[in-house]
Amino acid sequence: MSDKKILSRDKRRYLLPSERELGAETHSYLPELCDQLRTRKIPRRDFLRQAALLGMTAGVAYATADKLIGGAFIPSAAAATPKPGGTLRVSMRIQEVTDPASFDWTEKSNVARFLVEHLTRTKTDNVTVPYLAKKWEASDDLKTWVFHLRDDVTWSNGDKFNSADVAHTVNRWLDPKTGSSNLGLFSAMVETVKGADGKPMKRGIANAVEVIDDHTIKFNLKQAALAMPENFYNYPAAIVHRGFGKDYAADLSKNPIGTGPMNLESFAVGERAILKKARKWWAGPFHLDEIHYFDHGEDTNAWIAALASQQVDMVFRLPNDAIDTVKRLPFVDLHEATTAQTAVMRFRITEKPFDNLKLRQAIAACMDHKEILDKAFKGLGQVAENHHVCPIHPEYAALPPLKRDVEKAKKLLAEAGYKDGITVEIANGDTEGRWMTDVCAIFKNQLAPAGINLNINKMPANQYWEVWDKAPWGYTAWTHRPLGTMVLGLGYRSGVPWNETAYNNPKFDAALDDAEATLDVNERKKKMAVCEKILQDDAIIPQPFWRSVFKAANKRVKGHQTHPTLYHQFHNVWLEG
Amino acid sequence: MPQLIMRRIGMMILIMLTVALLLFLMNEGDPRLIARSVLGPYAQDQQLDAWIVQHGYDRHILVRYVEWIGRVMSGDLGDSIIYKRPVNEIFWDRLGNTGILAGVTFVVMVIVALTLGVLAGMKEGSTQDRVISVFSITTTSIPEYASAVLLAWIFVFTLGWLPGTSSMTSGFNVVELILPVMVLTLYGFGYVARMTRASMAEVMTNPYIRTAMLKGLPYRHIIMKHALRNALIAPFTVIMLQINWLLSGVVVTEFAFGYKGFGALLLEAALRRDIFVIEACGTAAVFVAVFTQTIGDLGYTYLNPRIRFK
Repeated sequence: MSDKKILSRDKRRYLLPSERELGAETHSYLPELCDQLRTRKIPRRDFLRQAALLGMTAGVAYATADKLIGGAFIPSAAAATPKPGGTLRVSMRIQEVTDPASFDWTEKSNVARFLVEHLTRTKTDNVTVPYLAKKWEASDDLKTWVFHLRDDVTWSNGDKFNSADVAHTVNRWLDPKTGSSNLGLFSAMVETVKGADGKPMKRGIANAVEVIDDHTIKFNLKQAALAMPENFYNYPAAIVHRGFGKDYAADLSKNPIGTGPMNLESFAVGERAILKKARKWWAGPFHLDEIHYFDHGEDTNAWIAALASQQVDMVFRLPNDAIDTVKRLPFVDLHEATTAQTAVMRFRITEKPFDNLKLRQAIAACMDHKEILDKAFKGLGQVAENHHVCPIHPEYAALPPLKRDVEKAKKLLAEAGYKDGITVEIANGDTEGRWMTDVCAIFKNQLAPAGINLNINKMPANQYWEVWDKAPWGYTAWTHRPLGTMVLGLGYRSGVPWNETAYNNPKFDAALDDAEATLDVNERKKKMAVCEKILQDDAIIPQPFWRSVFKAANKRVKGHQTHPTLYHQFHNVWLEG
Repeated sequence: MPQLIMRRIGMMILIMLTVALLLFLMNEGDPRLIARSVLGPYAQDQQLDAWIVQHGYDRHILVRYVEWIGRVMSGDLGDSIIYKRPVNEIFWDRLGNTGILAGVTFVVMVIVALTLGVLAGMKEGSTQDRVISVFSITTTSIPEYASAVLLAWIFVFTLGWLPGTSSMTSGFNVVELILPVMVLTLYGFGYVARMTRASMAEVMTNPYIRTAMLKGLPYRHIIMKHALRNALIAPFTVIMLQINWLLSGVVVTEFAFGYKGFGALLLEAALRRDIFVIEACGTAAVFVAVFTQTIGDLGYTYLNPRIRFK
C-alpha cells in the first residue's frame, strides 16, 4: 500500500464509531464532507459526487445523505418491470472503432462501451460511481490513488480481468506513440521532456502505475488530482485487455475482446454496428438482446425520417431545429439533458492578430451572451461567462455578470492599435449543428458597432477538425465533462494536446493545480474563481452559452435516461411490445 | 467510322489522364496533410515525418503520380483512411448500389419522359402540351434537396406510407427505393421530356407525316411507325447524359435518404478528406462521364445517317 498517505492501520484504530459511520476509514476528509452537508454548506449533489470520488460506495453515499438531511433518494429508473429481449435500433454515425485510447468522437465510444468498460461510471446525475473498480482510496494529499478491482470480471476470451489489464491500458495512454488525448487528461502522471529531435514531448512519469496485486493498482501522481475517478470515465479511457496492441493488433473492431455484455457481430464503418448479447454479465442482467447502430449519413433530416418511419427506435442526437418536428410525432419521446456542452470562440493566441490581448478583450466585450442564446438556440441552455466552467460543475464560482459594452470595446480596439476598425475571420464547421453558423452571424452583428468586421469562414465539419487547433480563430464545440477542473486541464493547461488556444500561462497552471488539490468544495470554488478570472481577463475564449442536448426515442424504449455527454448507458433499457 | 472510334477513345484516355493528374495534385500535393489524415490529429511531428519517409512521400510528385497510375491500372486503389480497409472493398459495393438506384430510375424516367414528351409533342400548342410542359418544367426546377424534403413530409411524416431512409439496413428492400427514385425521376425526366417534345413537334411538321395523314393512315399508326422512330434520335444524347448524372451526380438524393451509394461515398470522402477514396471515386466519375459521352456521340452518329455518311 501507500507509504504514508493512505490512512494507516494505526490511525484507523483510533477512529470514533461516529467517524467510521461517516466514512473516515475510506478517506479522512469524508466526516468533514458529511458535516458540510449537514450544515447545508454544500448541496446534496455535490456531496454525492465528492463522497463517491473519495471512495465511498454509491449506495452508502446516498444512504448517508438521506440520513444527514432527510429525503429518501428515489432512483428515476423505470418503475415498471423490465422485459428482457428485443433489439434496440439506433441512428448514429458509425466511425472506425480501432483503438479506444485514441477515440476522438463520442459515437466511437458508444459502440465500444458495450465491449470494453471503464474503471468508473459517471451516471446521468453527474455522480461517478465504482464500476470495474469496486472501490478506491485517495491519499490526503490526493497524490496517491489506490483502485481495488472487481475479482468477478472475465474477458470475452476467457481471461480473468486483473491489474495487468489496467496497468497495460494506462501505460499505453501515457506512451506518446499511442497518440491518446489522455496524456492531457491525466497530466498529473505526465512530464514534458525533450524528444530526439529537440522538440518537447509529453510522456508518462516513471512509476506512475504500480501493480500492488492481482486486483489492486496504485497510481502515483506528481501533483494532486481530485478527478481521477471522473477521468477514468472519459470516453477514451476504456480498459482494454492486456494483450491489446501487444499480442494482437490494436483494433477493437477486428479483435473485440472485452468485459462488456455484448459481442460485435458485424461492423462496417459508415453503415452499421451490430452488437449481440453474448454472455452472463458481471454487472447483472442486461435486458436487450441486440443493439443495432445504423449510419444514416450526415443529414440530420434522414435521422429524423428514420425515426418517423420507425426504421429506428432512437437517434443519437437531435438537432434543436428538429425539436418541433419530433414533438409532433405521437409515438416519440423527446429527451432533454442539461449539460456543460458548449462551443467556444477560441483564439489561437500565438497567431496574429489574436496575440494582441487588447484586441481579444475588445472582441469579448462586444458579446451579448443572452441575445445569442435566445436567437441562435431558442434559449435552450444558459449563458456562459468566457471561462469554460459551467454552473452545473460543483466547483463553479460565480463571477460578476458580463455585460456587453461597445464603448469599452472601441476603447480597447484603439489601444490595440486598430482605432479605424479591423476585419477578422472565424472558422466554423457547424460541427454540432447549423446553430453554430447562427451564433457567428449574430455575433457578427454585435461586433459591427465597435468597428470589427467579422467574416465567417464556413467549412465542412470534418474539414474544421483538421484546423481546430490551428486556425487563428475558430468556433470549437466541447462536450460535457462532470468537473470544471477536468475541462480546464484538458484544454487550457500549458502544452496539453487539446490546448487549441496555445494558452501558456504559468499563473493559470498553478491556480488550476491548486484548485485540483483542494478537497473542500467551498475552498475549491474560491480557487476556481481565480482560474475563471484569469481566463476571463485573458479573453482567450468568448463563449456564448451552455446548451441543453436533446435526443428522441420511440415510446417503446423504456428505462432510458439521456446522459449529458450522450454516452449510451443502456443498463436499464428495455423494450415494450 | 473505325477512325472516329479510335479518335474518340484516344481523346477519352487523354482526358482521363489529365483529370487524374489534377485529382492527384490536389489530393497528394502536400505529404504532411496525407500523413495527418492517416495518423490522426494527435500524432506528433516525429511520427508524421517517419510516416512520410516510410511510405515514399518524400519523393517527387511526378514519380508518385506515375506510380499511382500504375497501381490504379492494376486494380489497387489504396486503403481508405476512414473505413480502414481497401478502397476496392467499399467502392464496388457502393457503385453497385448506385447502379441499382440508377437502373430503376433510368427505366422509370425514360418511360415517363418519352411518354409525356411524345404526348406533348404530337399536338403542339394544345392544352395537353401546355399541361405537360408546365409540369415538367416545374418538377425540373425544384432541386433534389427540396423535393426530397417535400416528398418525405408527404409520404413519411404525414401519410406514413413509406420508409424515411433508404439505407437498406435489413437487406435490400424495394420499398426503400421508392422515394429516391421519385425524387430523381421528378428532377430528371423534364430534360428528356422537353427534348422529346421538341423533336416530336418538329417531326410532326414534316411533309411525310402530312402525306401519311392525307393517305388516311390511322393516327396511332402514324405516331408509332413514322413519327416516333425519327423523333427519338435527338433525345438519345440527352438520355445518355442521364446515365452519367445517375451514376455520379445523385449525391444529394443519396445524402438525403441515407442511401449507401457512390455519391454518398464521394461526399463523405470529400468531407473527411479520405484521399484514396476521393481519387478512386473522382477517377470513376470522370470515366463514367467521358465514357457515356463517347458512347452517346458514337450512337448519335450511328443513328443519324446524315452524320454517319458525312
